[in-house]
This record gives sequence, structure tokens and C-alpha cells, in this order.
Amino acid sequence: MADLSIAVRQAGDVAVLLPAGFINAHTVREFEEALEGLVKDGRYTILLNCKNLNYISSAGLGAIMGLIETVREHQGDILLSDLQPNVFAIFDTLGFTQLYRVFGDEDQALAAVTPERKG
Amino acid sequence: MEPAEFRLVIPSQTRYLNLVTGLAKRASLVAGLDDATAAKVSIAVDEAVTNVIIHAYHGEGEHSVELELRFTEQALEIHILHSGQGIRGDQVVLPDPKEYIKHPRKGGLGLLLMSRFMDEVRFKADEASGRNECCLIKKLD
Repeated sequence: MADLSIAVRQAGDVAVLLPAGFINAHTVREFEEALEGLVKDGRYTILLNCKNLNYISSAGLGAIMGLIETVREHQGDILLSDLQPNVFAIFDTLGFTQLYRVFGDEDQALAAVTPERKG
Repeated sequence: MEPAEFRLVIPSQTRYLNLVTGLAKRASLVAGLDDATAAKVSIAVDEAVTNVIIHAYHGEGEHSVELELRFTEQALEIHILHSGQGIRGDQVVLPDPKEYIKHPRKGGLGLLLMSRFMDEVRFKADEASGRNECCLIKKLD
């Protein structure tokens, strides 16, 4: 099994990225390229659905950090959902849960950024 | 009971990170740590070995990284030894998470994760022998 596989789909105006496996120094370039590809295509609102993400190291956090300012300058954002406990612990330990909006699941995240889905 | 220990030597290549973190997690469970703590230990080991490969060996893949696991009654100790560029404990500067969030940038978080997830993180650089070490300690409650 590959260390990391990444699926992308569009949900309205939101690009949903689903990394599966491990994001570390070995796989981070693939993750970074996927994120950069979305930004290059002008898809500035990105949801990272982490339900199949087993692990992320600081290399992966750096990839997200490297793009957050760019997407927000274009009125977009990077959202997180479905974090497994150990992945949440990494974000929370570093205080990143203050920097990113974290949702329990994908539907909650999409509802928060898609007005017609609210309520 | 005498402390048990064993060693694993890997090439300085990131493709082996997953193997090393898997070992660290299993070793933590064998030592008696719970699942959540074992996951944190494995992340700290990933960060330490990544630092050796990327910074101490500058990404050169033909070197070796040695991991020594010691199981004592008090703690699990993971010693990461290499002969690349070493750092001493007094050279380590941990980023301030609050400042980091105000001024996001790439890099700088690995050491912080290591220090938050382990009870002790020690660096030793032996200029005479050229052998350097990062020691990660997780106490058993």
C-alpha cells in the first residue's frame, strides 16, 4: 500500500481534498503539489477531509501553513474536518485549532461556508 | 530485571520513516504506554529522524541513522544516533506557538512537537568522535 494517496472532488465552491495514509517528509511533496494545484486553478476554499489520514508530521503542517495566507488573500480558506484523535492532537498541541476552522464532519464544514446549505 | 535494548540501523532516506514510526509506536505499546501516547511517541521519532536526514545529512541518502530503543522500568528511551551535522542542547531554540500562528511560515515545528510529546528531549554532539545523538524519553506512569 502506498504511504499516501490523495483524492480531490468539488462540492459547490469548495474543493474537498481527501488524503489517505501518512503525510511525512517522504510524502509531503505529493500533498503539497495537490494543494498547490488547487490554488493554481483558483480554488481557494479547500476542505481537508482527514477521515482517512492516519498521521501528519510537521512537514505536512508546513505545507498547509505555506498556503494559508495565499488562499485567505483571495477570500478563501483551508478548513479541516473528520480529524482522527492523534491528528487532532498534533494540530491542537501547536495551537493550530485557533488558526484553522475545524469541523466534526464534512457536512458541517460545507454548511459553514456554503450559505444555501445552512439551516 | 536488566533493561532491554535493541538497535535498528536505517539508510538516511525518508522512505523508511513509516517503518521507523511504526516501530516506535509498537515499542511504546510494548513498554506499556497507551495508544494515544504511543502515537505521540511515533510522531516525535518521525520528527527526530527527519531532522537527521534533512538537516544533519542535508538530504544525502547514503548515510546511516541508528535507533537504539531502551526499555527500563521507568521509561522508554529512544536514542537516535548519526554522524552528520550535530547540534547541542544549548543551540536548540523552540518556536513560540503564539508567534508562529501570528506569522505563519514553513518549518520550525518539528522540535516543538518533539518537546511537547516527550518528557525529555536531549541533544549531544561529540565533536571528537563525530557521533551525535538525539535522545527522546517517555516516562512510564
